Amino acid sequence: MISLTRRLFLAGLALAVVAPSFAADLPKVIRLGSPLVGTGNRPVGAGNSFANAQIKGLLEQEFQKDGIKIEWNNFRGAGPALNEAVANGLLDVFWEGDLPAIIGKSGGLKTKLLLANGRSSNLYLAVPPDSPVKSLDDLKGKKVAVFKGTAVQLAAGKVYAKHGLSERDFKSINMDTATGNAALTTKDVDAVWSSSNILSLEDRGVARVVYSTRKDPQAQSLNMQGYVFTTEEFEKKYPEVVQRIVNVLVKEAAWASDDKNRNALFQLWAKSGTPFSAFKRDAEGISQKEVQSPLLDEYFVALVRNSVTEAQKLKLLRGNLDVQGWFEPKYLNNALKSQGLDNYWKPLDAKGNAKL
Amino acid sequence: MTSIPRSVSALRLPPVLAGYLTALSRGLLALLLPLGLLLLWQLIAEQQWISPQLLPPPTQVLDSLLELYSSGELASNLGISLARVLWGFAAGSAAGLLLGVAMGLSPRVEAYLLPTFKAISLVPVIGWVPLFILFVGIEESLKVLVIAKAVMVPVAINAMKGIRNVPVGFFEVARLYRFSLWRTVRKVVLPAALPSLANGLRLGLSNAWMALVAVELLASSEGIGYLMVYGRQLFQLDLVMATMVVIGVVGLVLDQGLQLLERHLLTWRNSAY
Amino acid sequence: MSQNISKFDPRGLVVPLLLIALWWASAHWGWADTRLVVPPLDVVAYAREQFVSGELALGLVASLARDLAGFAIGAGAGLVIGALLALSPLTDRLAGPSLHAVKQVALFAWIPLISVWFGQGEPAKLVFIALATFYPVLFNTYEGIKSVRRELAEVTRVFGFGRRQTLLRLVLPAASPQIFAGLHLGLIYSWLGTIGAEYYLKVAPGVSTPLIDGREHFEMARVLYGMVLIGLVGALLNAVATRLEQRTLRWRPR
Repeated sequence: MISLTRRLFLAGLALAVVAPSFAADLPKVIRLGSPLVGTGNRPVGAGNSFANAQIKGLLEQEFQKDGIKIEWNNFRGAGPALNEAVANGLLDVFWEGDLPAIIGKSGGLKTKLLLANGRSSNLYLAVPPDSPVKSLDDLKGKKVAVFKGTAVQLAAGKVYAKHGLSERDFKSINMDTATGNAALTTKDVDAVWSSSNILSLEDRGVARVVYSTRKDPQAQSLNMQGYVFTTEEFEKKYPEVVQRIVNVLVKEAAWASDDKNRNALFQLWAKSGTPFSAFKRDAEGISQKEVQSPLLDEYFVALVRNSVTEAQKLKLLRGNLDVQGWFEPKYLNNALKSQGLDNYWKPLDAKGNAKL
Repeated sequence: MTSIPRSVSALRLPPVLAGYLTALSRGLLALLLPLGLLLLWQLIAEQQWISPQLLPPPTQVLDSLLELYSSGELASNLGISLARVLWGFAAGSAAGLLLGVAMGLSPRVEAYLLPTFKAISLVPVIGWVPLFILFVGIEESLKVLVIAKAVMVPVAINAMKGIRNVPVGFFEVARLYRFSLWRTVRKVVLPAALPSLANGLRLGLSNAWMALVAVELLASSEGIGYLMVYGRQLFQLDLVMATMVVIGVVGLVLDQGLQLLERHLLTWRNSAY
Repeated sequence: MSQNISKFDPRGLVVPLLLIALWWASAHWGWADTRLVVPPLDVVAYAREQFVSGELALGLVASLARDLAGFAIGAGAGLVIGALLALSPLTDRLAGPSLHAVKQVALFAWIPLISVWFGQGEPAKLVFIALATFYPVLFNTYEGIKSVRRELAEVTRVFGFGRRQTLLRLVLPAASPQIFAGLHLGLIYSWLGTIGAEYYLKVAPGVSTPLIDGREHFEMARVLYGMVLIGLVGALLNAVATRLEQRTLRWRPR
């Protein structure tokens, strides 16, 4: 009797010791989220190594041997919809643009910022091709579509502020990317703020770009940034999985940063439905190495801080946000070290100058 | 049902006071559930059983409501929404009355128009939105058009039914007195059909409010429905919930207001006989 | 409504035919924006394409399944809660006012909250459709039972029926016309809810897809096809409900 109890107890103990480590090491599925969708709602993004990983199936390859399923969720509702999914506990690792990420964090989402992923996406303002509009000022009082709650809104707000304008000078209509593009072609709106995917409309002759941050000397402080996150819960449970994901993303960022892969990179992104030529135009004169740098350097921190302040000024944000406590650079640093990329990207100081 | 009034009457209170007490006890009983839910909600929020991004505490919703009010945002957006409802309701009820009265008075008009009218009413209002957008864009005219469509159907149907139910004798009397058509409508048809008409208008108004919210959720840069969308985009569910409260209260006020008007008109009708 | 179906009057076709003729003429002679006024035959062609490719069946099945599932949930809840409120005055006083208050929130105002709580997929759609169905069923069930109880209170007392017996043999049968009227209304509302859910929540196969796509790509033919489809299904649901209602109530002595 006693021996039986003891045996049972020991078996239970053994199970208790073994089972959790069994379960805790590897999840059955990794749920990835991206707010990027291509034309025609294709679940394909572009512009950063996270999108590359999705197009190339890199994470599927990485985790195939462990039998871990990779589940991609691309949200047409973009960042705001992605935040809701995170709040519902439906995502583990995800890419987000600056404003929704900041809104989510200040709204209480328990996330950790793992690496920068696309530091500077250009912002465009497009009008119908036959529109008489030539500049931002011509649009005062007119209907301008902007996808509110996304990085586009914040960048547009920064541009307005720079020109002494505000959202209130326009009729700002909230539309998701597909709806906004459609509304531009049907002339339901006079203009639309957009990321580089608007260039495909320009190629088809149904839109004309009247303003872009592309040639602005301070482009980086106006432009949209992207980050990769994990939830605190997932990080705590599966640190090794997080490390492996970051490894893949960093390796891919290095590939994307290399100028000799430029054409291959844009061809890859063209799978999102925006043509190769558009990406080429978008990135003309811009070094991918700067844009794709995953570093969480002083300059990057300054950019995030700047976005937080701007969002507060535009009343898009409630309360404050402790930026520093949000970063978890451990995984990035490990990845850089293990892949010998320590000195590949040059860290910049808060003003954006190379650190000596 | 019986225990409370009985205990009250056992105290031998004057009947008026007893009536008040019964009403009071009913009111308290009705408040029990919402208060209980409110407490549970606050508890859930405080204990964070559900993350506050999904269920903000009621106090935060209240704060958000007060902030909407004090910043003037509530008044300006509500004003815009109400103006849309007013125009849409005016256009829709005018069209509905005209159609309904015409179909009600003349079987020939009915034979020609009713099937088309029914076909139109078969497609719910949301189904009309894309067509309207293609035709008139997403400006104010879209909102007015959508609301008008939502109002027209019940108003027309109830007007028609109301007139159909006017006793034939009334028309005979009118003919006997050689009333003109206009006079017949005004003196005979309208008063007799009034309850049904009023019912149609009430339904129309409640449809108008529903249609307004539906269309403002889709494409708008202002208005009460837009506030909801904005709250959601900014991940402020408390703002969404505060707006829901406003939508509910306005819906109630509109409905009760029309009901009061209806009662007023009906007493006028009764005294007119 | 039913006698209108049985009694066909050709005069009703005049207006639609005139409209179609006008439409055809303005498309043919280019009286209006050609993007807005597509030839009627384009719509027919698009409909045939949808039928042949199987898209029609796919969307129809998806929407109907969604509609009926949401209806079942909403109507079930409406029936149970409506009956409960009508039979128990205490429950009525406790929950009745709250339910009335919540009803004042316009149906579509629930969309943002529902999509935050239930996501954008099928569950959220079902919740919305159920909500659209719930109130008409609830109120008609409630009113039906309530009015019967007042009328029959005396009778049951005379016959000395028990509670259960009264409910099953008197109240429910007598209240069934109004309960069915509520279910009928609920079915109509559930169709509105289905279109709304497909329109506002995540795009998925359904009858509203041509509407949404057509608007986005400015293709009038698709939009018109979608509207006709929605109208036809609505009419079909209505006809089925009317037939069922009549058949079920036929046994009742009038």
